[in-house]
This record gives sequence, C-alpha cells and structure tokens, in this order.
Amino acid sequence: MAANTSSPMTQAIVIVRKELRDWSRDRRSIITVLVSSMLAPGLIFFVFNSMASRQRLAEDVSIPVVGAANAPALVDWLRQQAGVIITEGPEDPEEAVRTRREEAVIVIPDNFSKNFAASKPAQVRLVADGSSQNSRPKVQRVRGLLQRYGSEIGSLRLIARGISPLVATAVQIEDVEVSSSQQRAAQILGFIPLFVMLAGFTGAMSISTDSTAGERERGSFEALLVNPAPRLAIAAGKWLAGTLTAMLTVAITAGLLFAMFKQLPLQDLGIRFRLGTPEMMRTLAIVLPLCPLIVAIQMYVATFAKSFKEAQSYLSFLMMAQMIPGMMLTMNTMSTKAWLYYVPWIGQQMLLTDVLGNKPVSTLVFVVVGVINVALAVAVLRGTSALLHREKIIFGR
Amino acid sequence: MISIQNLHKRFGDVRAVDGVSFGAADGQVTGLLGPNGAGKTTTLRMLYTLMRPDQGQIVVDGIDAVADPQGARFALGVLPDQSGLYPRLTAREHIEYFGELQGVTGADLRSRTDHLLKMLDMTAIGDRRVAGFSHGERTKTALARAIVHNPKNVLLDEPTNGLDVMSTRAVREIIRRLKDEGHTVLFSSHVMQEVSALCDTIVVIARGRIVGSGSPDDLRRQTGQDNLEDAFVALSGLEPEGQPS
Repeated sequence: MAANTSSPMTQAIVIVRKELRDWSRDRRSIITVLVSSMLAPGLIFFVFNSMASRQRLAEDVSIPVVGAANAPALVDWLRQQAGVIITEGPEDPEEAVRTRREEAVIVIPDNFSKNFAASKPAQVRLVADGSSQNSRPKVQRVRGLLQRYGSEIGSLRLIARGISPLVATAVQIEDVEVSSSQQRAAQILGFIPLFVMLAGFTGAMSISTDSTAGERERGSFEALLVNPAPRLAIAAGKWLAGTLTAMLTVAITAGLLFAMFKQLPLQDLGIRFRLGTPEMMRTLAIVLPLCPLIVAIQMYVATFAKSFKEAQSYLSFLMMAQMIPGMMLTMNTMSTKAWLYYVPWIGQQMLLTDVLGNKPVSTLVFVVVGVINVALAVAVLRGTSALLHREKIIFGR
Repeated sequence: MISIQNLHKRFGDVRAVDGVSFGAADGQVTGLLGPNGAGKTTTLRMLYTLMRPDQGQIVVDGIDAVADPQGARFALGVLPDQSGLYPRLTAREHIEYFGELQGVTGADLRSRTDHLLKMLDMTAIGDRRVAGFSHGERTKTALARAIVHNPKNVLLDEPTNGLDVMSTRAVREIIRRLKDEGHTVLFSSHVMQEVSALCDTIVVIARGRIVGSGSPDDLRRQTGQDNLEDAFVALSGLEPEGQPS
C-alpha cells in the first residue's frame, strides 16, 4: 500500500513542532519561564536600588550636635563641608540613637574648649549603634569628618611650633586597590551568571521531564516508538525542542537584565558598570551553547524516572549540584585555573564574570568552550537514544 | 501478512512466551485470544518490534522484523497496550502528528485525517483537546492515529477493552472495513464474543503457548464442545482444579 517514507531529519522536526506546541499550551511551563526569567532581574534591581538609596543617605548627611556652643569653630568647620547639615541635638542622645530616632549624634562636652585651648586631647563623643547596618555608612562619614578636623588642627599646631606636620606621620599607609572599579562591580554582580544559567536550566525542565518520563507515565511512549522513526531522531527532536525553550528563557532573562541595568542608579554606588550591546552579545554567546548540554543531561536523567514527579525531583537534585561550583566561584573559595574555563558550567561562569568585569577574553576561548559543550551534548543525546532501545526504559519495568 | 515462528521471551524465571508460532493472512481478521497474563501483549510487543525475542522468527510482509525492526515498522499500524494521548493536543493533531512521522503530508494527510474522523464519528470533536475525552473517544483517537498511514498490517492490543457499546461498534466497523480493503488485521482480546464476532481465524494462547487455532468451527470440532466459550475454557485450561481439562 502506501510506500511512505520520511527522513529522520524531517521526523525530528515533526517532533520539535509537536513538543513546542504541546509546551506552549501548558500554562505551568509558561509560568515557569516567566518566573525564572524575572527572578534574577527583580532580585538584583531590589538589592541595587536599596544599596543606592542607602549610599545617597550617607552623602547628604544631617548631623545632630549636642553642645554646639562648646566648640563653635568645629561646628562651623563641619557646616562648611559639602553635604553636611548641622541640626540641634536631642535631649537624650543615647536614648535617641537606641530607639533609632537618630543614627549618629555628636556630643561636645563642657570641658572641650578648656582642653582644646590647652592643646590637650579634647573629647568629642560620637553616639552610634554598632548593631545597625543601615547607619554604618553615616557613622563612618561622621567619624571621618571628625578625624580630619583633628588632624588639620594638629598640623596647624605643629606648624605654629615650627615643626613640619610630616614628623608626626611616622608611617603612611597607601591603599593599593588591585581590582578596577568595574571588577569590583563584577564581584557584586557575580551572581548574575549563576542566575542566567539557572534560567536556562529551569526553562527547559518542562519539556525535559514531560517528553520523557511524562510520556511514559501517560502511556504514549509505546505508540510513539512504534513509528518508523529512528530513536536518535525521536530523542533529537525532543532535545531540540527543550534546547529552544532553554534558550528562550535565557534570552528573556538577559534582555530583562540589560533593560534593568539601564534604569539602575549605578553611578550613585561609585560603580562604573557598563552593560551595553557588546556585553549582552557576549553573555548570550557564552550561555546559549551551554543550553544544549543542560537539556541533554536533563533528558538523560529524566528518561530513567518512572514518573513526571520522580523526574522533577531528580532534576532538582541536579540543579543543586550544578549550583555548587558556581557558588564556590562566587565566594572565591576556588582558585581560577586556566583549564577550568573548559569545564562546562564552571567555565561559563568564569567567562561571564570576566565579560561583565570587562576583562579581555579571546574569541578562541569562546569558540572552544562552545564547541566542547555542543560536542558533549551530542554525546549525551546519543546516550539517551541508546536508552530508548532498552525494554526496561520503554515499558518502565 | 505476518508469520511468527517459535517465539520465546522470558522475564527472569517467568517464561512469558514459550514457543509461539502462528500466521495472519491478508484480508483476514486474526484474533489472539487468551486469559489475562497468557502472553498476548508480550507476543504483540515482539511483533511490533518494541521487544526483542530471546529466540524465534517474525516476518512481516517478507521483512525480518527481528533483524530489521525499522523496516517492519513502516509496514505496521499499531494500537499498543498503552495508548496514552497528549492531553493538550486535539484529536486531529494526534492523527496528523503520527501521519507526519510516517511521511504522510499536505493535502493527503488532511483528507485522510478527515476521512478517519468521519468514519469514527468524531468530526464534531476533532478539534477539541483530548483532555476531556471519554475512554471511547480516546481509544478511537488512538486507533485513528495508528492507521493514518494506511498500513498493510494492523495490530490492535485489546482494542475494545472497557469501551461502551457505541465505541465498540465503531471499532468493529473499522476492523471489518480494514479486512475488506485487504489488510492483515491481528487483534488480541480476552473476550470470547469479541473474537467470535469478528475473526476468521482464532489463535488461543495460554501460559505463553498456543493451545489451539483455526476457525471458530475448527475450534469447536477440536475440543468437542458445541459452545465456543466452552471450547475456549477447555483449551486454555482454566477449569477449576481436579476437573479434567
């Protein structure tokens, strides 16, 4: 009768279309994509915005002073500093700080002018609450101002006595900051790569589980495998569909991140962090080739599971396992050896950190890392296709 | 045309299929009749190439299905033991999916799909997602996708199991039509009436062995029973302990 033929390539494409159609009608999988792609941008937006607003608070500082009349010269000097407003101090400074009505209060005792005039150390009390994270930048600012005033007066006194102020400086500390400010920003932003890669992982989970363990749980696997399509074509179709959803989730996540960084007040944080189109392209060039491998591994693991639920719990373990090296990198407990660039997942994270920190990365590394990932993906895919020949896998015995 | 010779399959210590041989001819309906656990499904699974026999030969239209499972699958249309559907796809999409995998495309695929939906009395629900389908509607959808490519040989594993009267009629109608068109139809059942109403040849299987085969009349003659059901019981050795079989 009908001598129908169909090439394995055509069959794989038929399967891709079916899996994507099936996936796009699953409300749960769509919600997963949206939530997992908005998680990272949302979290980072929140963290940076609150950091920036805290920083702004410290810059425009209003300092309550108790006993301003005891040191008019000091108070005048403070007033002249940029962004400093001097206000009347509260009745009970300790209580005001303890109840967080004030963050820092300067108290100038009665004996200040007497000691000051006698060139003895004149006491100024700085009332602060060390347990309050929010007030820390402000307290540091006030302390810095007072120290500067002290050393300026001290220098003047030495000059008045005919001594160079340099004599009093026995040791000078020079801070040498090794990381550029962009690199420092990259450290803060070190968890972005992790989030972008996790977006790929969660984005593909629906198809990886639904088209393997889910297919068997529904009892549709037998009927599908009776079709004259090679197992490799079937596995490849499912894998391609999953890869496309992973890539879609990564692209949405990256797009949202870059749109968000245009809105963030990064300059308020002293971070010169640029995420323009070239950085975005490079980020995608790093993460997208990882997607085929992530999906191939997910499918291989999910094919062993007897049910959809079982597959999901396997994949949750896999996700946590994948996060460990990333976390270690972010926390700098793992030294960055050159060969680590070629290890999937770890390599991507290192490359992303470099790209976001504006370190130069050679194109060759990009290409080699991409090729390694795709090659591994194909190897794992072949493994999955071999599994589909096993009776125990097909019939779930 | 299907020919099976000396088929063996064991799972651990259990001999699920133990030397089964039979044939199914073109333009005929062959029934594989046996109690639950007799080895019907395992035999069919080896026949539709998802299981590898430990021993034995399967030939489908001259193709050695053990050596060339891929080639045999082109000549088979199968309603397997498990015929689950995709809840989010419509009946039409199910039929078209399998049609495309078999290489049927374009206008040809559309007209065959329409034809099958009409034949199975499903035109009204063809574009509905199968999530809300009844058991009968599901089975009819699975049957339609199994034969969309007009396969020469049709294998049906318990096609009428659990169906209501109307759906059973529709399935029987399809089986008769396939027979008239010259297809080889092989279906399994544990229901006597089902098999006697449809089959030209009945193959009775019990404990992994063929215990009788032939036309309904042949079987009655072989066992000396007037009633086909008694003949089936006698052949499959299902009588209570202590009575002659």
